[in-house]
Amino acid sequence: MAVIAFSTLQSPARRVLSVKTFLPLLAPSIVLTLFFAVPMGMMIGISFQSLDGGAPTLASYSRFVKDGLVLAGLGRTVVMSGLVAVCVTVLAYPLAYYLARSTSRWRTVVLALAIAPELAGVVLRTYGWLIILDDRGFINSALMWVGVIFEPLPLSKNLFGVVVGLTHVILPFGVLSLLTSLQGISPNLERSAQILGASRLAVIRHIVLPLSVPGIISSLLVGFTMAASAYATPALLGGAGFKVMATMVYEQVLFYLDWPFAAVMANVLLILMVGVAFIGSRLESRLNQKLHL
Amino acid sequence: MKFSAFCTGVLIFVTLAANSRAETLVVNSYGGPYERIIRERIITPFEAAFGIDVVYDAVGSAAQDYAKIKATNGRPGFDVVVMTASQSLEGCREGLLMALSPKNVPNLAHLSPAMASVAGPCGAVHEVQYLSLLYRKDKLADPPNSWAALADERLKGKIILPTFQNTMAAYLMEILSVANGGDLLDNVEPGFEAMAALAKQSIGFEQSSSIMETYIKDGQVWAMPFWNGRAQLLVDSGLPVDYVLPKEGSIPLMATLNVPKKAENRQAAMKFVNFFLEKASQESWVTGYKVGSARTDIDVPPDIRAKQITTEADLNALHLPDLAGVAARLSAWGERWERDVVAAAN
Repeated sequence: MAVIAFSTLQSPARRVLSVKTFLPLLAPSIVLTLFFAVPMGMMIGISFQSLDGGAPTLASYSRFVKDGLVLAGLGRTVVMSGLVAVCVTVLAYPLAYYLARSTSRWRTVVLALAIAPELAGVVLRTYGWLIILDDRGFINSALMWVGVIFEPLPLSKNLFGVVVGLTHVILPFGVLSLLTSLQGISPNLERSAQILGASRLAVIRHIVLPLSVPGIISSLLVGFTMAASAYATPALLGGAGFKVMATMVYEQVLFYLDWPFAAVMANVLLILMVGVAFIGSRLESRLNQKLHL
Repeated sequence: MKFSAFCTGVLIFVTLAANSRAETLVVNSYGGPYERIIRERIITPFEAAFGIDVVYDAVGSAAQDYAKIKATNGRPGFDVVVMTASQSLEGCREGLLMALSPKNVPNLAHLSPAMASVAGPCGAVHEVQYLSLLYRKDKLADPPNSWAALADERLKGKIILPTFQNTMAAYLMEILSVANGGDLLDNVEPGFEAMAALAKQSIGFEQSSSIMETYIKDGQVWAMPFWNGRAQLLVDSGLPVDYVLPKEGSIPLMATLNVPKKAENRQAAMKFVNFFLEKASQESWVTGYKVGSARTDIDVPPDIRAKQITTEADLNALHLPDLAGVAARLSAWGERWERDVVAAAN
């Protein structure tokens, strides 16, 4: 609205241009307002409700900052999401680089395989990991059968299991984020460096890696935010002792029936993700400016 | 030829119009064996008796259904829903469920007053289960008859417990509290101490009942607390398992029929609820799904009567929970469970 009002001070041609520029944004704006802003507003409203139907209160916020178990859950969410973001980026980078540079006919097959996990649902893939990592799962059974171990290794119902499962779920998004960035780096830069005597490793270290930092940040952001909001994988692979914000919100809504407290937790999770995304995007734009100077 | 085509068209139109006028009722409940039995024993006879078409919706657990009712302010898209007494009380308190009384559901008058009062004015108790002790017959030579059996040294690493988000956990803690000198609500210290001791012998915690039962199926677990309705399904499947109502008693799980406040077909919903509470329907349900009833005037075979809650004496042997009191303490108990019970297992 502010933009349109401002544009009325411009010449008629500029005004038409502004309206034309913002017209395509109308439909997405309506959809986002209806299905994101309104529900978010409602959730913020619910977070101030009193359980006994009384006057609006800050009781749920006060409880949040005093509740050691919930704060531990928040800490667990941050650690888990950070680890997943790093694992996704580290694993996705070589794959994305191969896809960006390869001219092999296998490139399409590799790209399809990289994205293929998305064809199966999250729950299905998580159950797959449960079969592999469980105490009675494939890895433990095989190791016990060959006599390497006598007690199952703790591969599931903990942070390790959740990070493995989520990395698998989010990896395709990391690959796509990095692929876009790596495709934007001209291969001529690498060829030039090699002609001037740089080794392959030096080219990667001094040219490709610095130029792809925006893509790395983008992949870290995608990994962090997707992991922080994931429910099914932490619920199934984390077990009773590994609770994160998403699973705790679910418990408050369905079991404890404490919607105001659930809304507080959801708001904190949202603030966390928005904060991380803001810092990441600022960093990304600064780096972009530096790279293009 | 043209005339006969016209007549056929008119006939189809009339048939469709007649069908479109038939009353429909959307019933939300569970899938699996439950759906097969409720269709056979309740829904088909109801449709035949009243000429009302029932659309069966098996999506969602009772907790998810309640969340849907709350999120839609009493207009969830189904007319009757199977939930538990806890959700009935909460829904009534929040004004999301219709109040039921013998005026609109005459068969409510035949329910045990004690059971009916636990569920409150918005829930019609149509089924009663209890927390039983399920065990492997092939592993335990002497059948257990006490909750104390779970703490037996021979069962170390051979039991599994529910997470606190499964109602069984709070109920087991309450039962152990009473068994160890405490009570159901205010003095639950002995209950938490007993649960912490059990946690040390448990191989872990699972939230889902369906996952819990996989442990006893494959013999990794030899004994565990379990709702007796599901335990009976395992017995019927031919597994070497059986279940008991331990001597210290148990707490019932009361399943209720509820009608959301803004359900579209409220009149048909009342007819369905009343039909489900008929003596014949209750007998059919109890013998088909093998659960108990809040009607104590039903006639069922002795083998069913021996295992299920069907008489006034059976009802008196149970600890009836104060569900509003439990709901008020649930958050505090949940925190304590994580701090004392889950921590003891690690």
